[in-house]
Amino acid sequence: MENKQSSSPASFVDSTVVPGDVVLDLSSMTNQTIKLGGGLRQDCDAISAMKAGTLRFSKPNKYWIESSQKRYVPCVEDTILGIVVDSKADNFLIDIKGPAMGFLPVLAFEGGTRRNIPKFEVGTLLYLRVVKSNFGMNPELSCTDASGKAAEFGPLKDGYMFETSTGLSRKLLSSPACPVLEALGKKLSFEIAVGLNGRVWVNAASPDTIVVVANAIMNSECLSGAQQIIMVDHLLKNIQ
Amino acid sequence: MEGRLANSWRLTVNDKNFIKTALLSEIRIDGRKPFEYRKISIKFGRQVLASFINVSITEPTFTHLKSMFIGILVRENVCTYIVLIIMVIYREDGSSEVQLGQTRVMGMVTAQLVQPYRDRPKEGILSIFTEFSPMADPSFEPGRPGELAVELGRIVDRGLRESRAVDTESLCILAGKFVWAIRIDLHILDNGGNLVDAANIAALAALLTFRRPECSLGGEDGQEVIVHPPEIREPLPLTVHHLPIAISFGFFSNESILVIDPTHNEEAVMGGRMTTTVNANGDICAIQKSGGEGVPRRVIMQCLQLATSKAASITKQIKDAVRLFSSKIVF
Repeated sequence: MENKQSSSPASFVDSTVVPGDVVLDLSSMTNQTIKLGGGLRQDCDAISAMKAGTLRFSKPNKYWIESSQKRYVPCVEDTILGIVVDSKADNFLIDIKGPAMGFLPVLAFEGGTRRNIPKFEVGTLLYLRVVKSNFGMNPELSCTDASGKAAEFGPLKDGYMFETSTGLSRKLLSSPACPVLEALGKKLSFEIAVGLNGRVWVNAASPDTIVVVANAIMNSECLSGAQQIIMVDHLLKNIQ
Repeated sequence: MEGRLANSWRLTVNDKNFIKTALLSEIRIDGRKPFEYRKISIKFGRQVLASFINVSITEPTFTHLKSMFIGILVRENVCTYIVLIIMVIYREDGSSEVQLGQTRVMGMVTAQLVQPYRDRPKEGILSIFTEFSPMADPSFEPGRPGELAVELGRIVDRGLRESRAVDTESLCILAGKFVWAIRIDLHILDNGGNLVDAANIAALAALLTFRRPECSLGGEDGQEVIVHPPEIREPLPLTVHHLPIAISFGFFSNESILVIDPTHNEEAVMGGRMTTTVNANGDICAIQKSGGEGVPRRVIMQCLQLATSKAASITKQIKDAVRLFSSKIVF
């Protein structure tokens, strides 16, 4: 295994890795800056996998391991959906489906000052970004993008939120668009927010559209692209 | 404190409002109609014993067995060994697994010879134990049974006992000395809402497949109990007179909306619940209405009518599953 990867370091990309696999060797890639995503750790010059899944690489320099699970492991720059659990003087406590509560500082909003702290009731659904996720600390979240603008982040009104696996939520966000969303979008108009922590929020004008979209997405988990399109056609025929 | 917060499952304000508004136009989040039951699947326990035998392919006696082998051991790209896998599948009596939508419950029936209660020397004992594992729902705490666990056990217990569904007198072997104590264990494996109905079906399915060893009296004074092993005398099934089926309803405060078989999302929103235990003949065995909103008499009558028709179809489903299980050994 060791010999194989040192001869061709890129060979692990898009292949299955298990915990302990050394996927990258930094000594052979000097003068390069790489960004590590979820499931990878650095021991000196060796980058090794910490969970089973597929190693992904996105240009120019980001590596991460993709797998499908129910629990979310927070990772910097992920966009997620969180639920407000409690508000403290400095932070909102946010449930992110992870091992620990997320902290959302009360000032992490566009133009946030001590004077205009937003008020969220318990159970509010927020679209958030993970800012820090260090070992042994609660992950820190933010309602702004990297430049301090609100962008699309913030509370989501109305609609319906349901839970999926983290793998399905990644598939929904992939480009080109996921077949199930494309097939649904041709016939129905709806609004959707996907969090990488396996939460999906859907809103539409009528409740039956929301129910159809939500169930189509939940059913699409184990279907291939063609099967997804057939399933959606079948569903839409039934409701018309 | 944070640990407890992390372990509780919570519903967003959006979902609460959506469930209520969708119900106003008779839509439920899983696409059901208000009076539609989720799909039930009933499975029974099986034990698989597999043994592996390595045989050399060069041995002429085994070459004709080629059609039987399942696995081939390849060594140095030459097939030298055949692995014979002999699988024996036993039926495991008295265990069931019921899936109702996302809810999963396992039922297990066991029996023991004990001394009967003083006031009922001729009756066997039927007891129900529930186990709510934190794996099913993080809000279930390990150890001490919670309020829900006790209530669930009581509802199932009342349905079976008060309606005398299981014939306890036939469990008596020697009056005042030895009776069979039947123990039903209900394990909640996944909480998708409406645990009571699923647990009740699991208990019934397990009871129907359970068989106890046959006993006879012997010895010098005819007071000694001989338990015959199952290999010598075929074990006996329990006498179950009828099947009391629990059907749960959820009530929502506004506009007096009624739904059958609520999911766990709906359970978090609804204002009150009622469980009616009825059998296929239309007899009412038990009604449980705990806390929450009051329900007018008209609605209770409507619930009972709905429950009776559902109970008939569920009874048929349980009986069909049990018949299929006991008629053949299925792979």
